[in-house]
Amino acid sequence: MQLAFFFVPLIMLFIMSFTLRDSFFFSPIFTVENYLKLFRIYRIDLQNTFFLAGVAATIDILLGYPFAYFMLRKVRKFADVFRAILIIPLFGELYIAYGLLYLILPGGPIAHILESLGISAIAALYSVPTTLFALAIYTLPFVVYNIGVSLQGIERSYEEAARCLGASPIQTFLRITLPLSLPGIITGWLTSFGWNLGAYAIPILLGGPILGTRVLSNQIWTTSLVTSDFGMGSALGVIVVLITMVIFYVVTRISKGVLV
Amino acid sequence: MNVQNKEKVYSAIVYLYLVFVCILILMPLGITLYRAIFNYDENGNLVISINAYFTISEGFWEKLQTSLAIALVTVAVTMAVSLPVAYGIVRYEFRGKKLLFTLLNGVWYVPGVTYGLSLVLAYYFVYRFLLGFWGFVAAYSTGFMLLSLLTTIVAFKNFDPVYEEAARCLGAGRLQTFLRVTLPLIGPGITAGVILVLVLSLNEFITALLISLPTRVKTAPLQVFSDIRHAGVRPFVAAEATVLQLVSLAIVIIYLKFFGTKYLRGSIMI
Repeated sequence: MQLAFFFVPLIMLFIMSFTLRDSFFFSPIFTVENYLKLFRIYRIDLQNTFFLAGVAATIDILLGYPFAYFMLRKVRKFADVFRAILIIPLFGELYIAYGLLYLILPGGPIAHILESLGISAIAALYSVPTTLFALAIYTLPFVVYNIGVSLQGIERSYEEAARCLGASPIQTFLRITLPLSLPGIITGWLTSFGWNLGAYAIPILLGGPILGTRVLSNQIWTTSLVTSDFGMGSALGVIVVLITMVIFYVVTRISKGVLV
Repeated sequence: MNVQNKEKVYSAIVYLYLVFVCILILMPLGITLYRAIFNYDENGNLVISINAYFTISEGFWEKLQTSLAIALVTVAVTMAVSLPVAYGIVRYEFRGKKLLFTLLNGVWYVPGVTYGLSLVLAYYFVYRFLLGFWGFVAAYSTGFMLLSLLTTIVAFKNFDPVYEEAARCLGAGRLQTFLRVTLPLIGPGITAGVILVLVLSLNEFITALLISLPTRVKTAPLQVFSDIRHAGVRPFVAAEATVLQLVSLAIVIIYLKFFGTKYLRGSIMI
C-alpha cells in the first residue's frame, strides 16, 4: 500500500519535474531547465522557508526542552492533563493560524493592548514574529516528544553521581544531562523543521501577502495549480521531498525510538 | 530560606512554566471559541450566544459527515495493515529492518503539499477508479500509517510472548493464537493508534485541499479554509472551526477518560 500510494506518486512527481511547463499531460518535453531555473527564481522562497522553519524549530527547542524536562523529572500531579494538552496542536495548523489571526486582527481582543504598546495591529498581524510564533506552537509536540524520549534514556545514576561528587544542580544539568540529551535535541529540531517546511495555512494567513506567498509550500501550490507550470511545481516538490527524506533518515538513525 | 521552602518555590516555578506553555497551546482554540460565542448585540453590549452555530453554512454538516466517514474507514484500513506489519517487525529479526521502517514511514515527513501534488498525478493517471471518497482514504491511511504502526509496535513490545508460546504448546494454530490470545491482550494498546489516526484524518487539510481538486468530494476542514478565505473572521467561520476542534477534543477526552495516557506514551507522548 505504501508502494502504491507513496512511491508511485513520488516517482511520477519526479518524472514530471523534468518536463516543461504542463507538457507532461499532453506530450512530455523532457528538460532539466526547471532545476536550473529553480535556484535563480525561487531563491527568495527557499531562503524564506528555511529561515521560518529553522527559527521556529529553534524556538521550539527553547520552549520544549524545559517542558519535557519538567514533565519527566518534576511533575507528579496533573501530568496527564499536560500530556493531553500537547495533542491539541496536532489537530492542524489551520486552526492555530485562524485563532491567532483573530487574536491580533485590528479590532480583535488584544489589538488595543498592542496599540498602547506602540505596535500597530496590522503590522503585528502580517509579520515574521507572529508567523514564527504560530509555527512554533504547531510543532511543539514533536520537539517535546523527541527530547522526552532521549531524557528518559539517561540513567539517573549519572546525575546522582555528579551530585555526589560535588557538582551543583546547574553544573550537573549543563555537564551531564544536556550533553546526554543532545540526540533528542537534534531529532526534535529536525522533525520540527521538516514539519514547518510543509506548513501552508500559517504563512498564508499570518505571513501576509509578501512573506506568506513566498514560501515553498505555497509556491508549489501556486506554480503548479494556479499558473499550471506543473514541471516547476513538482521540481520544487522534489526539492522538499529530498530535504525531508534526509531529515527522516537522520532522525531514524539517531533516535533510540521504538525500534531499538 | 530553608530547604523545604526552596523546594516549594522551585516546584511552583515548574508548574507556572508548564501552565504558561499550555496556555500558549490552548490560546488559538480559546480565541476561536471566544469569537464564536461572544457577540455584540445592536446596542454594542457583549452577549453570549450560540447563534453563530446556527448560521454555519449549509453544506458544512454534510461535509462533516463525509469527514467522519473517511476518518473511520481510514482507521480500519491502517489497523488492518499495521497489525501484521508491526507483528513482523517486533517478533522477527531480519536485515534492513530500519530501512524498511524508514521507507514505510517517510511519508509522515513529506509535507502535505508535495504529497498531495504527487497523489493528484497518481490518481489522475494510474488510479482513476480511486477518485473521490476512496482516494481520501488511501491518501490518509498511507500518510498516517506511521502513527498506527508506532503505537502497535509499542503494544507488541509490551506484550510478553510467553502467552503465545503457551497457546502454541497447547495446540493452537498460528492464526488461532493471534486471534484468540495476542489480539485481545494487545487490544487496549492499539487503541492509541486508532484515536490518533481518527483525529488526524478528521482534521487533515492540506493534502485534502489538493486531492479534492479532480473530484468534487470536499471535507469539513476544506470548508473551513475556504470560508476563512472568503468570509474572514465572521462568527460563523469561527463556529465551524471550533466544531471540528471540539469534536476532535471530545474524542481525545473520552478516550483519555477510559484508557488514560498509558498507551499513548512511547509513540507521540513522553
